[in-house]
Amino acid sequence: MERGIYRALPVIRIFLFILGYSWMLMLPSPQLGRGIYIDENALQPGQVNTYWSWDDVHSADVYLGHLEQLRDQNASSVEKSSFLRSVFSELGIPAATQAYSFKTGTMTLDGINTYGVLSAPRTSGTEAIVIAASWISLTAGPNLRGIATVLSLAAYLKRYSLWAKDIIFIVGDGYMDGMQAWLGAYHGLDQSNLDAEPIKLHSGVIWTALAIDYPGHSFSHLGIFYEGLNGRLPNQDLMNSFHIISTHTGGVPVVVYDHVEEQMDSIISRWLPQLLSRQAYIKEYARRARNVIRHVRYQALGRASGVHGLFHRFRIDAITVFAVPATGPHGFHALGRVIESTLRTMNNLLERLHASFFFYVLTGPGTFLKFGQYLPSAVIVSVAMMFGGLRVWVDAGWVKQQWSSEKVNHGPAGKAPKWKTRRRNVIIPLVVMLATHVVGGITFFVVTNSWFLTRTDKTTYLPIIPLSLIVFSILSALLTSDQPTNSQHDEPSPAPLSSLLKAFNLCFASTVISITSVLNFSLAAFLVILLGIPLSISSPTIGLTSKMAKAMSYFILLFPIWWTLLATPMSQSIWDWQVLGVWFAPFVCIVYLPLVLQATVVCMLDP
Amino acid sequence: MNITRCSRWLHFTLLVLLALLRNSNQTQGQEQHVKNFFQRADSPSGHTNNWAVLVCASRYWFNYRHMANALGMYRTVKRLGIPDSNIILMLADDAACNARNMFPGSVYANTGRQLDLYGDNIEVDYRGYEVTVENFLRVLTGRVPLTQPRSKRLLTDDRSNVFVYLTGHGGNEFLKFQDNEEISAFDIADAFEQMWQKKRYKELFFMVDTCQANTLYSKFYSPNILATGSSEIDENSYSHEADFDIGVAVIDSYTHYVLQYLEGINKTSKATMEDFFAMYDPVRIQSHPGVRSDLFQRPLSSVLVTDFFGGMADVDIVDSHLFHDLDDNIKLGSSPSPRLSNTNRDPSASRPVEGTGSRLLPAGRSHADVHQTRAWAGLGMVGLLAGFVLLQTKFRTASSGRDR
Repeated sequence: MERGIYRALPVIRIFLFILGYSWMLMLPSPQLGRGIYIDENALQPGQVNTYWSWDDVHSADVYLGHLEQLRDQNASSVEKSSFLRSVFSELGIPAATQAYSFKTGTMTLDGINTYGVLSAPRTSGTEAIVIAASWISLTAGPNLRGIATVLSLAAYLKRYSLWAKDIIFIVGDGYMDGMQAWLGAYHGLDQSNLDAEPIKLHSGVIWTALAIDYPGHSFSHLGIFYEGLNGRLPNQDLMNSFHIISTHTGGVPVVVYDHVEEQMDSIISRWLPQLLSRQAYIKEYARRARNVIRHVRYQALGRASGVHGLFHRFRIDAITVFAVPATGPHGFHALGRVIESTLRTMNNLLERLHASFFFYVLTGPGTFLKFGQYLPSAVIVSVAMMFGGLRVWVDAGWVKQQWSSEKVNHGPAGKAPKWKTRRRNVIIPLVVMLATHVVGGITFFVVTNSWFLTRTDKTTYLPIIPLSLIVFSILSALLTSDQPTNSQHDEPSPAPLSSLLKAFNLCFASTVISITSVLNFSLAAFLVILLGIPLSISSPTIGLTSKMAKAMSYFILLFPIWWTLLATPMSQSIWDWQVLGVWFAPFVCIVYLPLVLQATVVCMLDP
Repeated sequence: MNITRCSRWLHFTLLVLLALLRNSNQTQGQEQHVKNFFQRADSPSGHTNNWAVLVCASRYWFNYRHMANALGMYRTVKRLGIPDSNIILMLADDAACNARNMFPGSVYANTGRQLDLYGDNIEVDYRGYEVTVENFLRVLTGRVPLTQPRSKRLLTDDRSNVFVYLTGHGGNEFLKFQDNEEISAFDIADAFEQMWQKKRYKELFFMVDTCQANTLYSKFYSPNILATGSSEIDENSYSHEADFDIGVAVIDSYTHYVLQYLEGINKTSKATMEDFFAMYDPVRIQSHPGVRSDLFQRPLSSVLVTDFFGGMADVDIVDSHLFHDLDDNIKLGSSPSPRLSNTNRDPSASRPVEGTGSRLLPAGRSHADVHQTRAWAGLGMVGLLAGFVLLQTKFRTASSGRDR
């Protein structure tokens, strides 16, 4: 047993950890990744002349004037929606409104959505394309120019008869809440805390959607926001078509999010010495790293980076087109041309986008990582954790037989030490794990309860830490006292609770990470970074002070929970869970918290 | 009496022999005449009618160019003389009435949209989902259901020249039909063999424009087939250009250059297939077109382009002086009998109508008429002679009886 892989296992584990973490660090490197390409043959992006003219720009300006008036008057939802509805009616496009009301933990969100349906002129509208804009931009300002673009597009697109799909124009109230209400009602999904009118004007099955976000006066770049709820991504062909069209037909450079290259270069030159900051490799690495980090932030928290993210649940491929504010050269004219050409491309589709990638990391506007290029980094670390857990499990089952005192004099040269199996009592560790999960469940219930949310503020969370320490020390004292003492019997004493608990903890964590990495890589990466080493080095200690010290150090791992769930009275993650159904909050309470608690209990136990 | 009788019989047999000789002379002349009718002086192809089977096997909007290929070939073939009744046009999808078409009801084959191929007077025989491998093979081999209308049948005979054109997506020894089935090179080869066995073509020209097109004709084994394809194995065929209002590619490279060449051909053109194949330029076409002529018995330098692409009606120039006789006859409305009796009495004296290269008979008569009248005249003559002899004998006996 002390030969071969058993001996090498610690080395293997260290090697795997280093490999996994360094692979993660290498993800933004310029050598990894490939250029984007169009996979669906039917799309044919950038092959059409656009006829969006300055007349259409003028009509957009006129609509913008009306919208600014509404904003200045602090118009109510009713006034805003009636204005929008009248615009659609004047154009001859059938329109309707939808009132909705969300009841979240602390408040009630209500509003009125307005939408119009341009039916396909020469064919039956079995499919639909959506052009959407929300009243509030993702920069939290008003999205007036985005809505003006939607209205003038409606006027322009109505003149053409070459649309093979219905076009639905939606102006959603609020930011995400309006679109959530509309989509749920359109697809017949009920939500318990939502009270929304049914959709009066139905169209076909929605295949693709574009959300327009244009907060500033002019723009220099068009940014692509693509993450959806729970880390889901749209088919890459939509973004790639948009990229090609914007670059070639519109003449507007494309960036990821609003990360303009020049900004990044200035940051690097401030923080790094001249020698390094001038290197092209470092510059490119820094740009890509910025994109990857922002992507991981959105995806790990399960947040949609824009209104488009709500569409992915229904297998609709959608992106948000963000006009990066600048004093730059482009305005309604460029945006209209780009959207028109993108619509012509989306019009060519004969079936849902299925050819290109659904799992990718966009490191730059024209480069991306394929699934197999980033997935192994998390899985390798989880494999290392699994090896650790199995090692502890095996160790727990064998004990070196101690010779009785009279035989010691003969020296070890005569006989090799004998290994004997011992019982592994599995029930108690499992009960402990279950208890931690129950604690997680209770935490989640408390944290999302409206009573709790409306009545507490930050300072009330502080006593939790010493309280829980006391609870844990009592728990561990109880648990340790239950264990039978080691005695020199022929029958070796059963395996210690700490080993078994650690083994289960590591194996469970590894399984969770592997499964999550396929669904939501960023969440798995977040687990790997935070839990990889701490869980592997958890060990039982003697002495109350050291136990407390260790427990405190593990409580640092609970900091992310505090930050995402409890930092503000109504944290974004809880709001996401209640309104949009994002799983991050329950995941953190019911999976992450128990894992950390199990490791803490291991540390609090006697060896 | 015996001498007289003998001499009369001799005279009679001589006359009969002469009549027979004249008849056989005439038959041989007829055969030569017919043979020369089927052979033109310069290109002895021997076909009497032309047929075309033009197939676009792929559907969907982004395959617009395949439909434009087939329609371009259809227009050219019609312009060069093959009538709609002799063309089977199979289009797997309707590009002209597609909802995405900015110019509804039209199909164009070039950037700038100069010529509408779907404009006037086109007849699509198999359309949409009717274009299947089964229907294509049934059309070729003639195994169509009894209810199939005439316009959907390939009514060729053993003197038809057939032009088969296929376009769509293809690969190594297959062509994709309708995005859900394929026809293989073996299937087409067997269909052509069936056509040969059933005498459904005299010569067949097979043209295909797909990726790896040359593999599609590699399995033929029937005689008199000339084949050409747009690209070699492991080679793609590329589209030529796109129109920026239609938004898709509108014509394939190979077909574009073929059609461009055929625009310079008209019905009376003497261009040969050798010239046609010499037009192939792999650099411009962006692939390597191939030709297969080992099954084809005539040398390519004597095969006219219009033998396959055109529908030539054979015309004979008539000797001008005969026109006057014809005119007179028609004007006077006279029956042919006085002329006929003249000819019958002195058959050797009637002038055979030769020398000017035309093979017409005396004006105003048909072959069958003359044969019949001659036959009856000969019989009548024999009858007359026999009657004369009998009468003479009776008279003689009667007179000899009275003399005693």
